[in-house]
Amino acid sequence: MQTRRSFLKLGAGAAAVGAFAPLTVSANSSDVKWDETHEIVIVGSGFAGLAAAVEAGKLGAKDIVIFEKLGVYGGNSTLNAGQACFANTDLQKQLGIEDSAELMVQDQLKSGRGYASEELLTHSAELGPYIYQLTKDCGCVYRDHIINTGGTSATRSHQVVERSGSGFIRPMLKTARSYGVKTKIRHKFEHLITAKDGTVLGIQVRRGYHFGHEESGELINVKAEKGVLIATGGFGANVSFRQALDPNLGADVGCTNARGATGDGLIAMLAEGAMPVHLSFIQSGPWASPDEGGFGYGAGFSLYNFPHSIAIDRNTGQRFMNETADRKTRADLEVLRRDKEGKPNPALLIAPKHEAMKDPSMHNVLKYNVAWEFDSVDAIAKHFDLPLTELKKQIEDWNIYVKAGEDPQFGKRMNMSTGIYLTAPFIVQRLWPKVHYCQGGIQINTKAEVIAAKSGEKIPGLYAAGEVSGGVHGVSRLGGCSTPECMAFGVTAARSIMKA
Amino acid sequence: MKTVNTLLLLVLGACIALSAQARDQRDYHEMVYDSGCKTCHDQGMKSFPSDDSCLQCHDMSELAQQTKREGDEARQNPHDSMHYGQEAPCMECHGEHTPKQAICMDCHNFDFPKFKQ
Repeated sequence: MQTRRSFLKLGAGAAAVGAFAPLTVSANSSDVKWDETHEIVIVGSGFAGLAAAVEAGKLGAKDIVIFEKLGVYGGNSTLNAGQACFANTDLQKQLGIEDSAELMVQDQLKSGRGYASEELLTHSAELGPYIYQLTKDCGCVYRDHIINTGGTSATRSHQVVERSGSGFIRPMLKTARSYGVKTKIRHKFEHLITAKDGTVLGIQVRRGYHFGHEESGELINVKAEKGVLIATGGFGANVSFRQALDPNLGADVGCTNARGATGDGLIAMLAEGAMPVHLSFIQSGPWASPDEGGFGYGAGFSLYNFPHSIAIDRNTGQRFMNETADRKTRADLEVLRRDKEGKPNPALLIAPKHEAMKDPSMHNVLKYNVAWEFDSVDAIAKHFDLPLTELKKQIEDWNIYVKAGEDPQFGKRMNMSTGIYLTAPFIVQRLWPKVHYCQGGIQINTKAEVIAAKSGEKIPGLYAAGEVSGGVHGVSRLGGCSTPECMAFGVTAARSIMKA
Repeated sequence: MKTVNTLLLLVLGACIALSAQARDQRDYHEMVYDSGCKTCHDQGMKSFPSDDSCLQCHDMSELAQQTKREGDEARQNPHDSMHYGQEAPCMECHGEHTPKQAICMDCHNFDFPKFKQ
């Protein structure tokens, strides 16, 4: 007999949903009443989902649907800095940059600290020039300038003119729709629907879902004739999940991700026995500012300025890191900048205005109180309460390094700061890391097929791409290297589904 | 068991309706209230209104025109933004019975002086 408590719970749930929800996670195919059927079912409308939709459309798929949980498209992808690392592009050649897929993979393997997948990275890097062209065909417009991101041995981060992932998302969404792709917001993925042998048949979706109201909308069953692609992104915004994996990442650490990055797709695939990889490797962005929410404008400013600027510890007035080291190195060092009581005392990025002004981000950070202008070193020291003599000496030393083209302090690659001396006036932004990317996720192979934990074999009918897949980058992911990977495996998933 | 369940449903339903009435109302929407809750709650009183509900009276391109911005703020038009164009549904940022803020504010320190929480 049911207890009164469980009965009340069941009654309340039923009242809100308007129907009794199926209680089993996986259902037998013959029991399922399908509300909709589509050739290809894609969950998530970020880089991976949209790239898959565009590629499947190109390959002649007639009935593709994309379900998006939020009220807006693009998920986390639309919020990023709009950068994508490609090796061996015509733009790099024009700018005299020598690069190759092999070199890009080597850089990523180094940053992955022995945990990255050479096979998956190589697959992604080799698809780079194809993805670069695909985005241009969709109408994405790249800047003439290529950005130098940390941990790379060649400058390769191509950036769209919007300097935001929306510069990719909106043209790709438009292109997907031109192929007849059905795009649906407020549809929350609940779980996979599988046959007894584990083959994925479709998904259950909450139609009419409003974020934060878990019982809103109604449950429908959607059948996938050719395959289901899970492209739901990471779990950076799911505090209890991320803190369970890394105790340092509690609620007091910010997050750059979109609200929807709660790991629904990952959790549902785990429930069906998919192989988890590297879930504890969660990356924080070292370019974030504590003076705004989310990704904001500060990230763009520091990304542009790190190569020719210095990061200063407020306690010592001195540098404490190579400003262009990989993200983990920098974020780990930044989070140690604390006062005597252990409270955050964010470091300062000090940039020369004469160079900072060349990038449009300077205007934004000054206007929205994410950075401030100072006429002298004295003014910086006074405002932020740091030792003047040490700071002055550090800036003098830095300018000697610029002249010499060598950084004896931290071994920074100095070819991006040639002739750019750190002189007044200065623009100063505070630095404090924010949870940014989950390297861990579900294991996939080079066909974007999801691997089962029990057998090491693929789960039929199930594909994953983008941040929800794991093991690609290892311990740390290099900047600008997720976007091309999300798109490469989205494209790959589409090709595999169309062949299946 | 079944009767109890139905009763519970009715009580819960009434609670939801009552609590909505007790919540904030926008005086500039007075005429809508006069026409009854279902004017907006087109999917039933227990559900959120559809995304098209507000657009019965409001036109997205007109709104985009009204909140148009110039110069470097041009892309901060909340009704025609860089991230979402004119596609962000009203209730992402606006609440009729609950205070909300523009989703832009999740990441940006923008100033929207005319925005009513």
